[in-house]
Amino acid sequence: MAETPSVTLYHWEPNANSGKPMLTLFEKGVAFDSHYLDLLNFDQHKPDYLAINPLGTIPAMTHGDLVLTESTAIMEYVDEAFPGPRLMPDSPVDSWRVRWWMKFMDQWLAPSFSMIGWSVFVGPSVRSRDPAELDAAIERIPLPERRIAWRKAISGAFSAEEMAESQRRVAVGIGLLEQALGQRKWLASDSYSLADINGFNLAYALPLSQPHLSNDELTPNIMRWLRAIYARPATRSCWALGRTDMARRVTILEGEPA
Amino acid sequence: MTITLYHGEPNGPSLTVLAALFEKGADAALERIDLAAGERHGARVPHAMEVDHSIEGEGPILVVDGIPMADSVFLACYLDDVGPGPALRPREPYDRWRMMTWCRYIVERVAPAAAYLGVAANPPARVPQGVASVDLAERWSDAVEGKIDDARRADSRDKIAQAVERIERELSDGRDWLIDAFSIADLESYAWLAGMTELVPEAFADRSRTVAWLARVKARPAVARALTMATSAAPERIWAPGPEINRWG
Repeated sequence: MAETPSVTLYHWEPNANSGKPMLTLFEKGVAFDSHYLDLLNFDQHKPDYLAINPLGTIPAMTHGDLVLTESTAIMEYVDEAFPGPRLMPDSPVDSWRVRWWMKFMDQWLAPSFSMIGWSVFVGPSVRSRDPAELDAAIERIPLPERRIAWRKAISGAFSAEEMAESQRRVAVGIGLLEQALGQRKWLASDSYSLADINGFNLAYALPLSQPHLSNDELTPNIMRWLRAIYARPATRSCWALGRTDMARRVTILEGEPA
Repeated sequence: MTITLYHGEPNGPSLTVLAALFEKGADAALERIDLAAGERHGARVPHAMEVDHSIEGEGPILVVDGIPMADSVFLACYLDDVGPGPALRPREPYDRWRMMTWCRYIVERVAPAAAYLGVAANPPARVPQGVASVDLAERWSDAVEGKIDDARRADSRDKIAQAVERIERELSDGRDWLIDAFSIADLESYAWLAGMTELVPEAFADRSRTVAWLARVKARPAVARALTMATSAAPERIWAPGPEINRWG
């Protein structure tokens, strides 16, 4: 009998882009080798990993001889290529809505969250290191746009206008999420889907990071939704792979509604 | 199931969705709207959060049983699901991944560049009333006032040249289409690039595979039919504000 091709996922913390395929694999019940890359140590730009993904972006997944990048596209691949519960709705309109939300989050909302996250977390975490060493690490980054982003994060060069625009978008995004989750149980359809997995990775720490915008009084539907996803066994297994305080923020969801 | 497509001139995202509809032979009522006049924000068109906050900018709206939907690639996926015609997506999951990552590249990197250059060359006359998205409203004001940043213009031209280079590379094994069989990737790429042959001609010089591919897409009956719906002599010159240029660079 032919051997089943093995799956390896190269990822950082269960958070944002890394967490999306991680949680999808857990929900589908797909066994995989977890290969942790320390983003703050620039593991993703070292030769071992560039041999797998020359672009140096995280995450990447190998399935037998195939190499896949781009977290949202990997999620759709995992859903289609493996048995297990379907994570795209049966209805074509609902499937459209899943993709609409994933694009809205990936390309509009998440970049604003990450601009805030990088300026308060990633930048300060690496800024204390030797400047020459940091400079060399940044020069090794293959994609020019990622080099610019790292330089901005480390130097704290996001302008006040850029940060204010990101904060505006976070507030708008929270409002739209709350509105959508007031209309149905899950974000894009009546069944749990890739949109929920994507959204959880973006929003699980909201009650900690944006407490004035997201809490049991202001956004009861977001809070209900986050707690429901956190209660799933796959989510628990996935977040157990976290190694830093960033992933441990998820425990805020253990509290009952205020 | 009742489907109505509100579309603009056959260029950019409206071209993708019109051609996908004809490729699939799906049954739909067609309603022409003037995207460049901002008619998508007026009373003639059904509204929904997903239309108002679509980050595609001024694209078509597909209304299915009263539900307004936006974003051309995903509308084409929807039509592929429901229409009787030949598949517009590969069957194998890995090839579907190739198609979706290709479309993501076009949507995220190429479409903003094409729309930026398009409205710079053919600016809309006035900012419409009622644009719900604050950042889309700002792109409208910039377009109408002709606020064009030289660095962004240069970067957008580079993005078009890079896209043509990628297509040239993809087709170097003699394939006719970007992802083996004809797919949504061909439609979406063509729809954004067709108007760039005039605005960034140097990107297409000596790119014979890409030029031949553009001609193949244009010759498809569904694309030709979409193009006959133009109300202007050169629909590839009609632009309205599109997706924003990535804020991270």
